[in-house]
Amino acid sequence: MSVLNSIGEKLKSYRVPGYYTKFDHRWGMVIDLDRCNGCEACVTACYAENNLPVVGEKDCANSRAFSWLRVERYVEGEYPDVKVGFIPIMCHNCAKAPCETGCPVYATYHNQDGLNVQVYNRCVGTFTCATYCPYDVRRFNWRTYRPDKPLDEQLNPDVTVREMGVMEKCTFCIQRIRAGKDNAKDERRGVKDGEITPACAQSCPTGAITFGDLNDPQSMVSKLALSPRRYRLLEELNTDPSVIYLKRVAKDGSTGTGE
Amino acid sequence: MNSLSLIKQLIALVIVGGAAFLIGYGVNITYFYDRTPEQPIEFSHKIHAGDNKIPCKYCHLYVERSRVAGVPNVQRCMGCHKIIKTDSPLIQKLTSYWDKKEPIPWVKVHNLPDYVHFTHKRHIKAGLDCSLCHGDVASMSRITRVASLKMGWCLSCHEKREVKNGKDCWTCHK
Repeated sequence: MSVLNSIGEKLKSYRVPGYYTKFDHRWGMVIDLDRCNGCEACVTACYAENNLPVVGEKDCANSRAFSWLRVERYVEGEYPDVKVGFIPIMCHNCAKAPCETGCPVYATYHNQDGLNVQVYNRCVGTFTCATYCPYDVRRFNWRTYRPDKPLDEQLNPDVTVREMGVMEKCTFCIQRIRAGKDNAKDERRGVKDGEITPACAQSCPTGAITFGDLNDPQSMVSKLALSPRRYRLLEELNTDPSVIYLKRVAKDGSTGTGE
Repeated sequence: MNSLSLIKQLIALVIVGGAAFLIGYGVNITYFYDRTPEQPIEFSHKIHAGDNKIPCKYCHLYVERSRVAGVPNVQRCMGCHKIIKTDSPLIQKLTSYWDKKEPIPWVKVHNLPDYVHFTHKRHIKAGLDCSLCHGDVASMSRITRVASLKMGWCLSCHEKREVKNGKDCWTCHK
């Protein structure tokens, strides 16, 4: 019995938010909504980078569209005087993630990089994490989607092709983070700021998305995060997200988006 | 009555036999299958790496800078075998591939699943010897997989050497 108790204690300790007390990095993102024009280049880049399947019209109608990153639209005002705002939403990699507390098989957890990661091989598809997520960014594989013949050649070899019954979400392009750290290790140095760029940040034509280490006070994201326009989505839920938005401010002082 | 019981016995035998066959087949596939597959040319590591002491990195030249060690191209074989032992039937087979300008369809021995991220570079730079995972290749006339390549096997070494973040799932999975 004592063995069982000790195992129980250990498992409980995994459930405490912030199990790792000290992170190597804390990858974060700053999205300047003043620059976002809603072109959805980031969404396309995400599809290409992470082997996301295009599910087709019928599944889309069942709200099973597979975008890890989506751009939401806000329209304010009546026709002649309309303000449109856009806000890209991906997994916020919350430091106190609600999804992690729910998973019965510990398929989602916080790793040493301060990332909220999903282990596909462990996931049994209970859908608990998606239910707990306040941002609605987790996506479920309802079928095993495979691209048609010539298109399977364009799959990214650094990312698994997921199968039916597995939950998945934005990873902050963990394969690029891994490659960046690998290169840095070859040269016996730490990761430089701006060295790692996720696909969405790379493809953004206006440069609205900045990626970097929030632990490092000298990094670009840390400096941008000090802006007075800063806010985080649903911050009142105390999830401590790693994605920071910079408010859009119009000429007359109205914000026009999100908040 | 007698024939009915015989049929019942036969059905039971088929079910038990089928189950035993399936289990045996599964165990065989998982643990013993294709550890020493037959190759298109009976290439001997014993002659090359053992008797003639050619270093591994002479042929597997990407091992220090890439994820894969790299199977040498036919040109690298021909670099020596244009001159050496051209009368042997195996070398003549190699030359026929060279003349046809076709790659040799080597059978993969160490095959990792799609969801595993493994870099040779990282392991070589950590100072590991090739033989730690690949066994004593220099004494194998046909290459054999000595390691199970299962997750527990990887983790036991990571734990023993206290690899930084070595037990994190996303260090090796992708």
